[in-house]
Amino acid sequence: MRKIVTILVFLAAGFWANAQYAGFIPVKDMDKFKVAFALAAQKTNSIKSDFVQEKVLSMLSEKIISKGRFWFKKDNRVRMEYYHPYQYLMILNKDKVYVKDGQKENKISTRSNKMFQQINKIMVDCMQGTALNNTDFKTRVFENKNSSLVELVPVTKGLKELFKAITVTIDNKDFSVSVIEMQELSGDNTIIRFLNKNLNADIQDMLFFIK
Amino acid sequence: MQPVTADFRKLQQFKPVFTVALYNTQVDVAGNHLSGLLLIKRMPDSSLRMLFSNEMGFKFFDFEFGADGKFKVHSVIKQMNRKAVLKTLKNDLALILMERMDISTAFARKNNGLLYHIFPQKKGYHYYITDSSGNELVRLERASGKKIIAETVMLNYINGIPDTIGISHKTFEFNIGLKRIER
Repeated sequence: MRKIVTILVFLAAGFWANAQYAGFIPVKDMDKFKVAFALAAQKTNSIKSDFVQEKVLSMLSEKIISKGRFWFKKDNRVRMEYYHPYQYLMILNKDKVYVKDGQKENKISTRSNKMFQQINKIMVDCMQGTALNNTDFKTRVFENKNSSLVELVPVTKGLKELFKAITVTIDNKDFSVSVIEMQELSGDNTIIRFLNKNLNADIQDMLFFIK
Repeated sequence: MQPVTADFRKLQQFKPVFTVALYNTQVDVAGNHLSGLLLIKRMPDSSLRMLFSNEMGFKFFDFEFGADGKFKVHSVIKQMNRKAVLKTLKNDLALILMERMDISTAFARKNNGLLYHIFPQKKGYHYYITDSSGNELVRLERASGKKIIAETVMLNYINGIPDTIGISHKTFEFNIGLKRIER
């Protein structure tokens, strides 16, 4: 009997880990979470943070790790500055994107570039607490003691081709985003971890200026 | 060009020994600029994988040159998934890898003090051009019977891997610049 129980426990644990996220359980009161998330986001006018991006290439058993600085300011303004091991700057300002790689500058209107438009929306949605209302995704929320995990599964055709799912891990303390993970269909993924977060820091508008 | 004899084995010193290398990549094609990261990795089965993504992790393509030299596309974004684009990239990359070098059909020519090591391909030729001694690689060329299609340089080898690679097409605007990133 004990053996059967052990097997069942193992099976259940395995199932649990597959169906959910390790250490997380489905959030009990979704409405309460939504309200708290939106409320906290309302109070957050800006975020200044460091980030570490990890591109995991499963088939190649390789990881490309890059580091940078991140700024967010209401409304719809994001600046990501990669400084190691390569330099790359991206500024999102409303519906405009500015990109500067080692050599060249590029201005892209997100209206004309669907991929940037989507990434822009996801990023800003996460920061502004509106990710749960994005109808391009089917959303589930899980939680543990310290954090909540929002799972976004694309439902629109274009996004389905890009991602299997996007998960956003949120710190329960201040509802700020600590990890964004984009899972590709190939099994590769991109994980961005936000470190040394400074909420409502004074951020100059100039940082988001696009000529 | 004058027919000459050459020691083709000497070219082996220029063949890049890609274990794993990451390159900062700049592409200019027909007025458009694209930048990203190219990862080149030799796999345990001796195949070579080349994966190109942008700086934020968005993947453009994942190609493989098998141990038998066979080219395989693992993934490619819709915008690049055209026969002509894939063929051009395949041929450009094959020239750099220096794996399609059949010495039995190769011949050499001399011109302006440079030594041309010429390897006939299924279509056209691969030229590996050195100084007259054969000890310095000047440039690589991909040519049809009549004209040069693409010109390539591989510079500053460190532990068998070139630090800088440049590919420039002669028949239309398509330039690729690779600069190795120290991780």
